[in-house]
Amino acid sequence: MESVPLQAGDWAFVVENWPVLAQGLYVTVLLTVGSLLLGFLAGFPAGAIEVYGAGPLRSAVRGAGVLLRGTPIVVLIVLFFFGLPWPDVGGLPLGGWLLVPRFDINGQALLAATAALGLRSAAYQSQVFRGAIQSIDEGQMEAAEAISLSKVQAIRHVVLPQALRRSIPGFQNEFTIVLKDTSIAIAIGLGELLFRGQQLFLQPGQSAVIEVILTISAVYFVLTFATNRTLDLLERRYAIPGEST
Amino acid sequence: MSELLRFDDVYKSFGDERVLEGVSFGMGRTDVEVVVGPSGSGKSTLLRCVNRLTEIDDGDIYLDGDSVHAMDVDALRRRVGMVFQGVNLFAHRTALGNVTLGLRQVRGMSKSEAREVAEANLERVGLADQADSYPAELSGGQKQRVGIARALAMEPELLLFDEPTSALDPELIGEVLGVMQDLAADGMTMLVVTHEMGFARSVADTLTFLDDGRVVERGPPERLFERPDEERTDQFLGRLDA
Repeated sequence: MESVPLQAGDWAFVVENWPVLAQGLYVTVLLTVGSLLLGFLAGFPAGAIEVYGAGPLRSAVRGAGVLLRGTPIVVLIVLFFFGLPWPDVGGLPLGGWLLVPRFDINGQALLAATAALGLRSAAYQSQVFRGAIQSIDEGQMEAAEAISLSKVQAIRHVVLPQALRRSIPGFQNEFTIVLKDTSIAIAIGLGELLFRGQQLFLQPGQSAVIEVILTISAVYFVLTFATNRTLDLLERRYAIPGEST
Repeated sequence: MSELLRFDDVYKSFGDERVLEGVSFGMGRTDVEVVVGPSGSGKSTLLRCVNRLTEIDDGDIYLDGDSVHAMDVDALRRRVGMVFQGVNLFAHRTALGNVTLGLRQVRGMSKSEAREVAEANLERVGLADQADSYPAELSGGQKQRVGIARALAMEPELLLFDEPTSALDPELIGEVLGVMQDLAADGMTMLVVTHEMGFARSVADTLTFLDDGRVVERGPPERLFERPDEERTDQFLGRLDA
């Protein structure tokens, strides 16, 4: 296969078609935020259950985690999209503000991708939280119980605030992974950034393949970099005075 | 004399290791009871059984005549405070925040009320000026004084001290013992496990020598130091007191 050289005209093509990429970016951001939120809401309790839970509940949580972590994300997304009975939500209208023209997105595909990425993220986030919880010295828990706090109160007021702080670096990692893995939704035809880019360079007679892909890469990089910096700030903002981070 | 605390033939094992083997004694209100003994003699376990951080196997422990096992454990812990060897301050809360947590969550105080009580208790241990410091910003001795203030603020009837100075640098021990001495003078009922023989001698009303999970000898400290009945006591106290 012959490579396609970079051409000034191809860069002009990218700029001209930026609104299409912006629509893809919109979906990518939506998918990232939705998946991380789902991952947090399911992953945090899951991590706590792995530490404090018992019996069948803990076994179920552990089992689900092993299963989700042990399945390739492409397989998960395809399985969720084709294998689950999603309600027929049809096309969801999105965009229509700033530099993003209105467009419709396949609702079922968005739901399936969010569920797959979100639950897989939950499985990984649960391990970040589990480690953070277990890193809190048990003596603090005893001290809380010794002043008559219930176990739940002690977890809520002593363990969680510290565990959340210690989770930030692991969460940073998880954020980066989820953001980049949203591109896998191309497998079910969801109009995220990579899919939209592909639509552009697959147009007949188009030679702007490398230019489009480089642009997309740059967008992923900027998003990752900016968010990681923001989380760095968050970590410093909530650092416990006197403790090294 | 009405007894506040009584150990009645208390047994405790961890697996095959027998830690307490039939410990019995009692102490009255405002008493300062110091328990000494070699490492592994069961001193800390004895203390932890009182507020049920550790559950005993056999026998019973009574607080003011009621079995601690018949009580709701949270109710028990409101009446019995504890100071730990490892201090165990809540790392994410200031000195003040360490003291207010129990006041807010357990005693249900308003924010301002809890603050007032906490400040008074930090004042009592000489740390009013460190109220806004975090544990990592305090010295070992200051941390332990915050630990004492945290326990005191709950207004316990009995305060347990589990080797409160064992993890401290030698030059920081004095300030903690000083606070404990003040509490004793104020009439606080205290059960203290320590290796500080000077403290045992000068502050304790009664000294108990525990070895291999049994009370070897018990009595006024001056008698145990000067004229112990048991040779084992003499060996132990004589060696440390040299």
